[in-house]
Amino acid sequence: MRPILLSGHERALTQVKYNSDGDIIFSVSKDHVVGAWFSHNGERLGTYHGHQGALWTVDVDPTSTLLATGGADNTMRLWEVKTGKLLKTWEFNTSIKRVEFSPDGRQLLGVTEKRSGHLSTIVVYEIIPDPEAEQTDEQSLRIVCDESKATVAGFSYLAIYIIAGHEDGSVSQYDAKTGELLFNTQAHEADMQITDLQWAPDRTYFITSSKDKSAKILATDSLEVLKTYTTDTPLNSAAITPVKDYVILGGGQAAMDVTTTSARQGKFEARFYHKVFMEEIGRVRGHFGPLNYVAVHPQGLGYCSGGEDGYVRVHHFDKPYFDFMYEVEREQANL
Amino acid sequence: QDLAKKNTANRQVVEQRRRLLQEWLAWRESMIEMLKEEGAEIELNGGIVKKEDGETEETEEVE
Repeated sequence: MRPILLSGHERALTQVKYNSDGDIIFSVSKDHVVGAWFSHNGERLGTYHGHQGALWTVDVDPTSTLLATGGADNTMRLWEVKTGKLLKTWEFNTSIKRVEFSPDGRQLLGVTEKRSGHLSTIVVYEIIPDPEAEQTDEQSLRIVCDESKATVAGFSYLAIYIIAGHEDGSVSQYDAKTGELLFNTQAHEADMQITDLQWAPDRTYFITSSKDKSAKILATDSLEVLKTYTTDTPLNSAAITPVKDYVILGGGQAAMDVTTTSARQGKFEARFYHKVFMEEIGRVRGHFGPLNYVAVHPQGLGYCSGGEDGYVRVHHFDKPYFDFMYEVEREQANL
Repeated sequence: QDLAKKNTANRQVVEQRRRLLQEWLAWRESMIEMLKEEGAEIELNGGIVKKEDGETEETEEVE
């Protein structure tokens, strides 16, 4: 099936997210606007206005009631999904680079940017999953990242840990109750920024992408690197597909970063790897610039990518995608 | 002889994949067991939070 192009944004996309039913896609862009779209036909459901700067991040709670956003105007905001009403604004000294709800939607974390005089932090708020409720100003937790700034973070299964990826290529595991740093591992090449961290559906493992041109799957408990996917381009995003054992990687070198003249369009592709065997199995082209984010439909029916080119491309998987099996997978299925 | 070499190489690749798949499935099983012991309902349900009105007291198990 041909991809659907969501062309409502005027500048580069920074993050795209499906809700848990997979029927809505939320998008944020440097154009300050949050978009909501029907995933099956690309029709625009609405926009959320209020941010005064580039948006870096978006997340939706597990019941599709509340939406969280963060951006360059140093605010993290909470919205009612249905009405677009702004429910809460939390202000900070620096940009919000990442927001994410806990699995039950009752906690929200934000990652704040580092800037002269301000260290990067991970802040947590308790959330009341009701649009009518008064949300708290009080942080329930604040983790200061004094070694290397955090670029991405999220809650583990049961919100036991907060896992963060850092600018220096390392991954940290924090106690999500106390904020204590339990463990830090140099998962990616030194000083190669971790650009994305996305969870498996049950959050016992996750995938990280890095400017070191690789993506890795780590175990949530041990932070052991279980899988490595090696590419030829800096990566901005990585996602794990349910149903089929694949991962989808997105990245590409921005034109201004390319020193040679032959900036092959082919670099701007979503790359599919087999999750277990770590072998590349296919590519999907289409974007005219780097892929800044890839998100997978929660039921594994498709994926969407947000590009530096200002477009969101929504793909529905065809039958061959689901039918494809390695010989040893077929053996296993027939056992 | 070349063909024999190639066949051996192919067999090794398949063996390696078989091993990777078994390792992965065994690890996944251990993780699912762990989530069950921890009572991680949302996680075992693929991140879907069951609506409250769908729940009744009957779901409580007496041990």
